[in-house]
Amino acid sequence: MKAIVSVREAVKNYTLGNVVVPALRGVTLDVVEGDFLAIAGPSGSGKTTLLNLIGCVDTPTSGSVEVAGKDTRRLSERELTDLRLHTIGFIFQSFNLVSVLTVSQNIELPLLLQRKLTGPERAQRVSALLERVGLREYGTHRPSELSGGQRQRVAIARALVTRPQLVLADEPTANLDSVTGAHILDLMRELNRTEKTTFIFSTHDQSVMAHANAVVRLADGKLVDRVTPAQAAAENGLPA
Amino acid sequence: MRAWLATLGVVAQMAFRNLFASRLKTIIVGGIIFFGGLLVVAGNSLLDSVVASMSRSVIGSVAGHIQVYNAKSKDTLEVMGRMMMGDPDLSQLDDFAKVRDSLLKVENVKSVVPMGISGALVTSGNTIDLALEKLRSAVNARHDAKTDAQRVEAEARVASEKGHVRQIVSVLQGDLKNAKAVLDERTIDPADGAAVNRAASDAFWQDFDKEPFEALEFLENRIASQAADADLLFLNYIGTDFQAFQKSFDRMKIVEGTTVPAGKRGFLFAKHVYEEQLKLKAARRLDQIKEGTENEGETIATDPDLKRMVRENVSQVREILLQLDAAKTVDFRAKLQRELGSQEADVGKLLAAFFQTDDQNFRERYDFFYKELAPSLELYRVRIGDVLTIKAFTRSGYVQSVNVPVYGTFEFQGLEKSTLAGALNLMDMVSFRELYGFMSGEKLAEIQALQKAAGAREVSRENAEAELFGSKAEDAPAAKAPRRIEATTTPGVAPVMRDLGESLGGKLQREEARSRVFPADEVERGVVLNAAVILKNPKKIRETIVAIEAQGKRDGLTLKAIDWQAAAGLIGQFVNVIRMVLYVAILIIFLIALVIINNALVMATLERVKEIGTLRAIGAQRRFILAMLVVESIVVGFIFGGLGAGLGVLLVSVVGKIGIPAKSDVWFFFFSGPRLYPFIGTSNIVAAFAIVLLVSAFSSFYPAWIAMRVTPRQAMQEEE
Repeated sequence: MKAIVSVREAVKNYTLGNVVVPALRGVTLDVVEGDFLAIAGPSGSGKTTLLNLIGCVDTPTSGSVEVAGKDTRRLSERELTDLRLHTIGFIFQSFNLVSVLTVSQNIELPLLLQRKLTGPERAQRVSALLERVGLREYGTHRPSELSGGQRQRVAIARALVTRPQLVLADEPTANLDSVTGAHILDLMRELNRTEKTTFIFSTHDQSVMAHANAVVRLADGKLVDRVTPAQAAAENGLPA
Repeated sequence: MRAWLATLGVVAQMAFRNLFASRLKTIIVGGIIFFGGLLVVAGNSLLDSVVASMSRSVIGSVAGHIQVYNAKSKDTLEVMGRMMMGDPDLSQLDDFAKVRDSLLKVENVKSVVPMGISGALVTSGNTIDLALEKLRSAVNARHDAKTDAQRVEAEARVASEKGHVRQIVSVLQGDLKNAKAVLDERTIDPADGAAVNRAASDAFWQDFDKEPFEALEFLENRIASQAADADLLFLNYIGTDFQAFQKSFDRMKIVEGTTVPAGKRGFLFAKHVYEEQLKLKAARRLDQIKEGTENEGETIATDPDLKRMVRENVSQVREILLQLDAAKTVDFRAKLQRELGSQEADVGKLLAAFFQTDDQNFRERYDFFYKELAPSLELYRVRIGDVLTIKAFTRSGYVQSVNVPVYGTFEFQGLEKSTLAGALNLMDMVSFRELYGFMSGEKLAEIQALQKAAGAREVSRENAEAELFGSKAEDAPAAKAPRRIEATTTPGVAPVMRDLGESLGGKLQREEARSRVFPADEVERGVVLNAAVILKNPKKIRETIVAIEAQGKRDGLTLKAIDWQAAAGLIGQFVNVIRMVLYVAILIIFLIALVIINNALVMATLERVKEIGTLRAIGAQRRFILAMLVVESIVVGFIFGGLGAGLGVLLVSVVGKIGIPAKSDVWFFFFSGPRLYPFIGTSNIVAAFAIVLLVSAFSSFYPAWIAMRVTPRQAMQEEE
């Protein structure tokens, strides 16, 4: 299968004042199309940094990150933005919906930025996705009128509306209770299966990892190993 | 293109939604912009209207569109707003006819009015002087009487005039008593007191007929000086050609009397001056109280000014008492007793009681005064038809006096109540020149004859010391071309000439003042200080000024032309000052607005860092973020600025229908009438929008810069 993400010896240092803080110390990782990959590790292990590099939100200090066949270090800020717009969908830990827009408008937003579809086409796609994430009734609601789980579904719909090749989710269930979190992951998994969308999500939650095809474990900015969810569970002394 | 529009659509939609979501911020920012827009439109429109109407006042009353004067003058010309600050130092224009011919060559010039503006002191109406003069002439008439009938008539006149003088003396005696009660006795000259007591005694009047001239001398020397009721009037006047003036300033209309016939000496009082300065003060105050209560809706009970006027009328009845001879005293006593239902015998006290008016009885008392009392009084110190003796300091510092008959009063339509427009009286050009120190050819010859007769020699200023102290000096140069009084008179001669004019030739001069007709040539070809120019097209003032000065050069004249606003002096500046104040206010408001709006937007942007980061993360370019913020600002600017400007337009047009009433006489001038009808200038609306948009744009620069620097990474950051 073709790799949609290819990370080679990626190093990322952040500068805080005069101090250089290494966040990633040379990570190499390939993600194939249609994967459903969890990135696990304790806080500060570099999960978010790795996701940022893959998501074209950041570029590596050294090494390379290729997304959909494009080397992100060779792209300009504008090209990176375009790459994000057309290739990647984002799901955030705290949903990050635009509070002044309705649910439908939030979902429609990336399509408007893309400027590809006509109004009716957009409306059709939005309503299909609303249906898909089970929020048919909520199109005209404001995010503030929804529960956390509902909001994250809106976020998922927004991430998928452009039909991206890759969806990145940074701790998508961290702000949700476990039952709701499980539902969200079920939804993501289902979309992964039906839409053939590649999902990469970060988590430190064992029960979340259980949904993944594979778990990439990070520690101190380094890739420790790539294991199955069962292996990961076993090492932590938990039932898979 | 369609997609671009769709993006703009979403940008606008987000902007609107954001504005609505952060209502408080929007209202604060919008409120300031609203107010700014309102102020720009309403304030500027109002000012433009004032400038327009004021220009009508200035142009229509004295200034004309352009004033022309000699460019060699030390001071600049100011035709209005002069108080008693003395005349500006202007060089004269020697030959008005030449100046006019030159000006009329300029295409846009419609007419030219000769002018000279100056001021003089006029002593008027010392009642006791007049009464003594009448008494003296009655005594003389009795002395010269040839028939019995004449003698009887003269005797009666003497008796009547004596009564009047006695009345005045008794008023003075009363004053003296009051003074003693108030002042330290030592400050009053005992000789004065004794003189008054003597003049008030029966013995004095019984002896009057034995030595009438001696008694008159005593009264003139010792008593008249104590009755200081003569007012020195300061009259500002324009020397001009009445016919040209009236034709060019068509708002001028004669109120009383007639205009001065061509070529004659004459004086026209500005109606305002005539009422304000020459009318009997009690009557003037009654007029003003009536004006205040009936036209301005004030009451004596509440308005301090009206209260003061009533108080002054009560305490200042002396002015009226001095006018009363014996017969009038009796008449007034009877009338006032009847009117007031009083038994009081003292007319002074009766008058005081009569003038103690309130809101209930005022109208009745006012009517009674004008119906019953006024016919027996001299209401104006100078009557139409009187010959006015005006004494002025000439440019060289001599006192020059001229007799001019008063032909009437005039005012400018719409400016009836304006002190500023009504401050200048009119005088014929010949008299003006004499008062200013420019001699007519004839007068010059007369003086030279007098000098010859008196054996006075020409002494020039440079040689004066040498002449006086006997050291040798070259012969003084004879006066030739200069027609200034300073070059042709010596210090000793000028007063003599004046005295001659007044004592010997007084009557003759008065006759001359009335009947003498000066040839048009002498009026036209003489000296003027400045000239008012009326234009055919008033919009081309600037071009015409240039053309006039150029034409002057071609004709060998040193002409300086200024527009009406400059000619109006301080008054012209006044509008500029107000405009400056308005601009500064607008500037400050918009600076504050800039700071507040900037602050509000920065706060709003910081609150939205995560949202902006999210937008960037999901693929919004920086320019999308910028557009979003700018659209927000512009939307606020347009909506609120538009509302403010709209309200301003509405306000101005509503006020434009009703008009703003002129509260005081000064505003009559600025409003060019009793009401100002403001109008909207389109440029003001454009200016309002421009300013609002500029401010909106400027105030969103910094917040936009902050927003542009938000990275998509900041969308991921979790607030702890």
